[in-house]
Amino acid sequence: MLLVLLSVVLISWFFVAAARRGKLVPGKMQFLGEMSYNFVRNSVGKDIIGERDYRPFVPLLFALFFFILVNNLFGSIPLIQLPTTSHVGTAYALAGIVYVTWIVLGIQKHGIGYFKLAVVPSGVPKAILPLVVLIEIISTFLVRPVTHSLRLFATMLAGHLIIMLAAAGSEFLLTQDQLLLKPLGILTLAGGVGMYLFEILIQVLQAYVFTLLTAIYIQGSLAEEH
Amino acid sequence: MEGNLNLVGYGLSAIGGAIGVGLVFAAYINGVARQPEAQRVLQPIAFLGLALTEALAILGLVFAFVL
Amino acid sequence: MNETVILAAAEGVNPLVPNIWEILVTLLGFAVLMFIVVKYVVPAFEKTYAERAEAIEGGIAKAEAAQAEASAALDEYKQQLMDARTEANRIREEARAEGAQILADLKEKAAAEAARISEQAQVQIAAERQTAVISLRSEVGILATELAGKIVGESLNDDARAARVVDRFLADLETAAPASQSAGAAN
Repeated sequence: MLLVLLSVVLISWFFVAAARRGKLVPGKMQFLGEMSYNFVRNSVGKDIIGERDYRPFVPLLFALFFFILVNNLFGSIPLIQLPTTSHVGTAYALAGIVYVTWIVLGIQKHGIGYFKLAVVPSGVPKAILPLVVLIEIISTFLVRPVTHSLRLFATMLAGHLIIMLAAAGSEFLLTQDQLLLKPLGILTLAGGVGMYLFEILIQVLQAYVFTLLTAIYIQGSLAEEH
Repeated sequence: MEGNLNLVGYGLSAIGGAIGVGLVFAAYINGVARQPEAQRVLQPIAFLGLALTEALAILGLVFAFVL
Repeated sequence: MNETVILAAAEGVNPLVPNIWEILVTLLGFAVLMFIVVKYVVPAFEKTYAERAEAIEGGIAKAEAAQAEASAALDEYKQQLMDARTEANRIREEARAEGAQILADLKEKAAAEAARISEQAQVQIAAERQTAVISLRSEVGILATELAGKIVGESLNDDARAARVVDRFLADLETAAPASQSAGAAN
């Protein structure tokens, strides 16, 4: 829980420091900040939500991306070694924020008819419409937030577990008396290091996927058609 | 031998999701390789496909823990 | 850490059931982050972007102005060049006309001179011919008479008869002379 606060402090400190003295020709820190900000703003926000109305959502996407990124990367920092997002509560909270956001947005944009718009696809034969509507209700309003949160939580937990498993396994094998088991311990250690590097990739990618899906959901509730 | 058979079941169910995600990204890479300028259009579709496909694997995880 | 997870799993605590404090802390932390981002980070970055865009657009406007100026100058130069070219053409035409005029004048003058000279020469020739004819007429008559007198003797000393004979002879000569003279002129 302290880690959440630590991440908030870290992100705020870095970006406020990077953005405060906004020069036309950026320095190193400002350049790094701008590059990160630009990435979320343009390749996530602008490309997916659309040129017209992506502006109000940039802060949300930006905060989400870096909050998740930093909390994920805690899993790869020695001595911390615990991604905050591998606690399911964190993932539920973040996905819940997004869930509320896109439903409220949809209602704001289309009124109460938004629910009809969201669950009744156009161009479906009458005969199978009830079935399709049922599937759409489940997939949009139930599966979507669950998968959104659990994807983050599960990948982080699994990555955390597999590294810890490799570490514990190596420790166990290397401390055995039998000489034959020690090379196996080295093998698991090497595999653990490989998984560690792979985990860094996964952590960044999951932050990206979470933000991208947020943008896709927001775009979906702003769009005119299903 | 101790353990929970649910986890074996989850492992089996994850195979489907893995194949599905592989197919989605194979198609995405194919599309982008053939027409690099379509990348911006294809990317959200690919990730939406990823989300929908992975939903099944995640549901498997949920059931593995819940049941 | 793995021990706690394994212990938790062993105790049957479902990892999908959230801890309420976790949710609260996350929400709180995220709210604080969101506040800072909305309040400080995004406006600062957007402001920098706007300034940069403005600077770039200003630069573009300046460049456009400079280009317009340059193209105006170019037009002016072209205009001047064209003027100069027409001027040169005009001068050349004038010079050519003047030259033709001078040439024609000279030709005319030369022709007149030639005509005058040839006329003068003709007149002179005619005069000389006339004098030659006159002198010839008397001299040839005398010489011929003298010759003929020498040839035929004293019978021809009678002047009047001699003059008649000479005149008739010269008249004969003259009728023959213009033919041979005109043939000589043609040559």
